[in-house]
Amino acid sequence: MKDVLKRIVFGKREKYWWMNALVPLISILLAFIVGAIFIKITGRSPVVAYKLLFGASGLFPGPYWKSHFAEMLLSSSMYIATGLGFAIAAKGGLFNIGAEGHFIVGGIAAAYLGYAKPFAGLPKFIHLPLIIVGVMLAGGIWGAIAGYLKAKRGIHEVITTIMLNWIALYLIEAWLVIGPMGAAVETGISGTPYISLSAKLPKIFPPTRLNISIIIILAVTFLIWYLFYKTTFGYEIRTMGHTLIFGMEAPKAAGINVERRTIQTMFIAGAVAALGGAFMVLGVLFQYPPIFEGGYGFDGIAVALIGQNEPLGVILAGILIGALRTGATTVQLAHIPKTFPSIIEGFTVGFIALQALIRYWIMKFVQRKKKSIQIEMGGGAK
Amino acid sequence: MNSNIPFLNASIAQALDYTAPILFAALGGVMSENAGVVNIALEGMMRFAAFFGVWGSFVSGNAWIGLLWGVGIGIVLGALHAYITVKWAGDQIISGVAINVMAMGMITYLLESIFKTTGYSPPVAYFGAPASKIHLTFLKGIPILGAFAELTILIWFALILVVVLHFVLYHTVLGLRIRAVGENPHAAETLGVNVFKIKWFAVIAGSVLAAFGGLALSLGTLSSFTNSMAMGKGFIGLAAMIFGKWTPFGALGAILIFACAQVLQLFMQGTATGFAKLIPLGFYLSLPYMLTIGALIGVVGKAVGPASDGVPYKKES
Repeated sequence: MKDVLKRIVFGKREKYWWMNALVPLISILLAFIVGAIFIKITGRSPVVAYKLLFGASGLFPGPYWKSHFAEMLLSSSMYIATGLGFAIAAKGGLFNIGAEGHFIVGGIAAAYLGYAKPFAGLPKFIHLPLIIVGVMLAGGIWGAIAGYLKAKRGIHEVITTIMLNWIALYLIEAWLVIGPMGAAVETGISGTPYISLSAKLPKIFPPTRLNISIIIILAVTFLIWYLFYKTTFGYEIRTMGHTLIFGMEAPKAAGINVERRTIQTMFIAGAVAALGGAFMVLGVLFQYPPIFEGGYGFDGIAVALIGQNEPLGVILAGILIGALRTGATTVQLAHIPKTFPSIIEGFTVGFIALQALIRYWIMKFVQRKKKSIQIEMGGGAK
Repeated sequence: MNSNIPFLNASIAQALDYTAPILFAALGGVMSENAGVVNIALEGMMRFAAFFGVWGSFVSGNAWIGLLWGVGIGIVLGALHAYITVKWAGDQIISGVAINVMAMGMITYLLESIFKTTGYSPPVAYFGAPASKIHLTFLKGIPILGAFAELTILIWFALILVVVLHFVLYHTVLGLRIRAVGENPHAAETLGVNVFKIKWFAVIAGSVLAAFGGLALSLGTLSSFTNSMAMGKGFIGLAAMIFGKWTPFGALGAILIFACAQVLQLFMQGTATGFAKLIPLGFYLSLPYMLTIGALIGVVGKAVGPASDGVPYKKES
């Protein structure tokens, strides 16, 4: 029974399977310790800071817990979306920095489909799924451009995703939002018009503004997990990821259509990351504002790395980052800037990069009794 | 025609001003990746150095001290990146992301706690001040060359560095070793090259170059630090390095295309008449990025980097 449970939870039969879970946990712990030292050095009290941070993070019960909890899950769902965007591409051996662009493309698509005339009149149960599909198509196509250029023209995806991020940003914020999709001047709204009532994500935890975005993203994460670990398609993508980073031809030799899979991987990555933008527009802002609050895309990279590019890990890491960001607004009471959680986030990722060292420590600790120390290193996040 | 010369020169000078920070970042990437260590932390390193440069200049009132501070933080970050990726064979991309994320949080934190402001620092002594620029007045009237009449020392340094780095990489023993380590570390090791030493050197040198990129932003172009720095310029440097096929002159070429497109875009925005006036702003702003992708599709073939780029090196025991 225990074995079966183990296989269900971790899906791995490695000798030190628990190590893969322990490394991120220790990294997070170390990051909090280093973060405390950093606060101390700059002359503030780490105890007060962490008390405020966790008190309002929504992870622990306390005053206003309900609304903090809701806010945490709201932002977590966006971090999970962009984190998956990076993780999916990473599984296929692609380095996708484009989640930022996919996020805003998803946002503008959601806003347009939410307010535009032929759609806005539809009943909710048709309108909302329609928007979600439209958003995923838009984000997917934007992602597939980079995949296409990589597969057919051999252009490094790092270049194209960076360039496409900026192109998306300028085309949306310096054209669409102030031009064809901008609200009429006489309404006095800056940005796009507000979406119709039928486009808003249903709330599930009144009186807070928590909506079904978290359920949608959990379902999507499950589908991604299923795709990667239970289908041939996912197996082929993982094969590429394992070998292409070392420039091997093995997947090609095994008959995998590498070009096609590359484009498809980027399509899926873009589609999922775009969902994050849709959650922002359909659940929080209800329009596309003149300037979108950015950063979800880049934080998504950190989320994916903390979660070791595994679907379950991305969920947990997304919740952690969401909680830190939710609690961050209150640390200002202790005269600490609200970007403080990025420091913790950065240190966590840093310690994850140092996982060879952490693994070495753990193994040393575990095998202290034995005379011969055989260190099993390796096993990166790829 | 003659009246156009000052305008032409000013445009080129503007393009050069735009080039310098990105060029430094790209050269930092060239240095590090030729030794087989991917450095996507260029952006974060620029941000750190831009801030520390301003801080140093603010404390001392001297831009040169600021420069030293910036270089110092570059060395520290390079050592951190090397410690993770070279000493412990950590994933280079994860390490780079860590530095980028840390730069985001830590610099905003320091900006608020040191200068007590949000978003920008007070102005400090900088290299772009008329007195500190390098004056070559005899060039002033000449087309194109006139653009070089009044540049900051950092721009000159960036341009000279392209030649120096090319010479070092392709015409010295050290350069040969760096490239050998990036191509095939195991073979280099058997020839008696100390792979770890070379990697440590290349990563730290690359980080210092990226730090200069940050300094060119905050002490060259501007005289203060703004919280939006480096505005993705490190990532564009990264892209330019790949575009330029991991060579110093290639990177320079890629960035010049990009910088010219940027100036062209500003020029077209300013002088647009008739039909061109109807083209929305967003298209002008995204033009440089589209042109970069277009140039990659049209002109340049597959980008092939150093063979062992991004692969952690572990000694066989």
